Amino acid sequence: MASIHILRRRILAAQNVSKTTRAMQMIAASKLKKAQAATLATRPYVEKLSTVTKRVATRAPQEFTHPYLTPKNANGKKLLVLFAPDKGLCGGLITNLLREFLRYTREEKGLRVVTVGKKVESFVITLRSEVIASFVFGTTTPSFNMVLPITKMINDEYLLGNVASVHILATHFTSIFSQKPIMTTLLPISLPLPQEEQEKSEGGQYLFEPNVTELLSPLLNHYLEMVVYQYLLESFVSEQAARMVAMQNATSNAKDVIEDLRLEYNKTRQARITNEILDISGADALRGVQNE
Amino acid sequence: MTLHLEIISPEKVVFSENVDEVIVPTTTGQITVLPQHVALFTQITPGELIIKRAGKEDYFAVTGGFLEVAKNKTTILADFAVHSHEIDAVKAEEAKKRAEKLLAEKISQEDVAVARSELVKSLLELKVAKRRKHHLTTP
Repeated sequence: MASIHILRRRILAAQNVSKTTRAMQMIAASKLKKAQAATLATRPYVEKLSTVTKRVATRAPQEFTHPYLTPKNANGKKLLVLFAPDKGLCGGLITNLLREFLRYTREEKGLRVVTVGKKVESFVITLRSEVIASFVFGTTTPSFNMVLPITKMINDEYLLGNVASVHILATHFTSIFSQKPIMTTLLPISLPLPQEEQEKSEGGQYLFEPNVTELLSPLLNHYLEMVVYQYLLESFVSEQAARMVAMQNATSNAKDVIEDLRLEYNKTRQARITNEILDISGADALRGVQNE
Repeated sequence: MTLHLEIISPEKVVFSENVDEVIVPTTTGQITVLPQHVALFTQITPGELIIKRAGKEDYFAVTGGFLEVAKNKTTILADFAVHSHEIDAVKAEEAKKRAEKLLAEKISQEDVAVARSELVKSLLELKVAKRRKHHLTTP
C-alpha cells in the first residue's frame, strides 16, 4: 500500500487536472456555440453558391474558358491545403486528419502542401512533403479576412501553372460527437455533366448580363473564397466540438481516479489509526502485566 | 402564377417564399423579374430590392451579389441583405458617422476598404428605412 503522503499528493494532482480539463471544456463549449451558429448559417449560402456556379458554368458558351474550369498545366502535380487546429487536446481529430493525409501522400508523389494550423505543420515537414506555406489557424472563430492570404496562395500556385489541381483536406462537422476528415477537389471546379446537359437543351436560352466574361470571373473568385471560408469554419467548429467532448471525458476520468485514490487514502488512513490504537492498547496491556 | 424567390446571405437565409414580382438593382440597371422570366444570370449592385406579393410591397437593402433566374426559381446570393423592418435607423446613422469618421482619418488601405463598404451599407439602410417610412405615411 502506497504511503499516505504519496496518496494525498496524487489526489491533489488529479484534482488539479480535473480543474484544468473542466475549464478547457467550458471554454470549448462557449466557443463551439458561436462557431456552430456561424458554420450552420453559412452552409446554405455556400451550397447554393456552389450549385449556381456550377450550373452557370455549364451553360456558359463553348468559347468561354476560365483557368478555374480547365487547368493550364497538366504536369499532374497537386496542391493540398490542409486545415487542422493550432492546438492539440482535441481527441482523435488530428490523428484522423493525419491518417487521411498519410494515406493520400502514399499514393501521391511531388505533392505541394499548404498547412493551416501549427499542429500539423511539423508533422508534414518531417514527412518531407514540400510545404510551400503555413498559416496559423488561430483560436477564435475564423474571420473572412483569413481567407484572402490562403486564396492568394492557391491562385499563385494554380494560375502560374505550378500545380494542375488543388485539393482540400479538412474536417467536416456532422455533429458534436462526429467529425470526419474529408478530401475534396477545389480546383479545377468539377462540373456535373450528363443530366445538366439535358436541362440545357430543355431550358434553351440563357441570358448573361452584361456578358459571360465579366460575370463569371467575379463569380468563380467569390465561389473559391466562400468555399475556403466554409472549410475554415467547419474545421474550427469540429476542433471545438472534439475538444469539448475529449475534455468532458478527461474530466469524468479524473473524477473516477480521484474517487479511487480517495478510497485508498481513507483505507490507508484508517489502517494506520487502527494500528496506532493497537500499539497503544498493546503497550498499556504490557504495562499492566508489568505492574502486577 | 407566382415565382419562388430565395434570398440567401452568408449570415442566413433571408427570404424564401413565392412572390408576384421582384425588382432588383443590377449592374445593367434596375430590372423586374416576373413569373416565367427567361433564364438569366447577372450581378447585383448595392441598392434597394423590392418584392411584390399579394398587393403588398417589401423592401430590402442589398449590398451586392448575384442573381440567378432559372425555371421560375429566382435565387439571390447577396453579400448582405436586410428587410426594411429589421433596419435600425439609429444604428445605421451611427454606423454611417463612424465610417465617415474613419474615412476622414488617414488609415491603411485595407481599413479604408472596410470603412467604405460600411458606409455604403449604412447609407443604403438609411435610404431603405426612410423610403419605407414614406411609403407608410402616404397611403
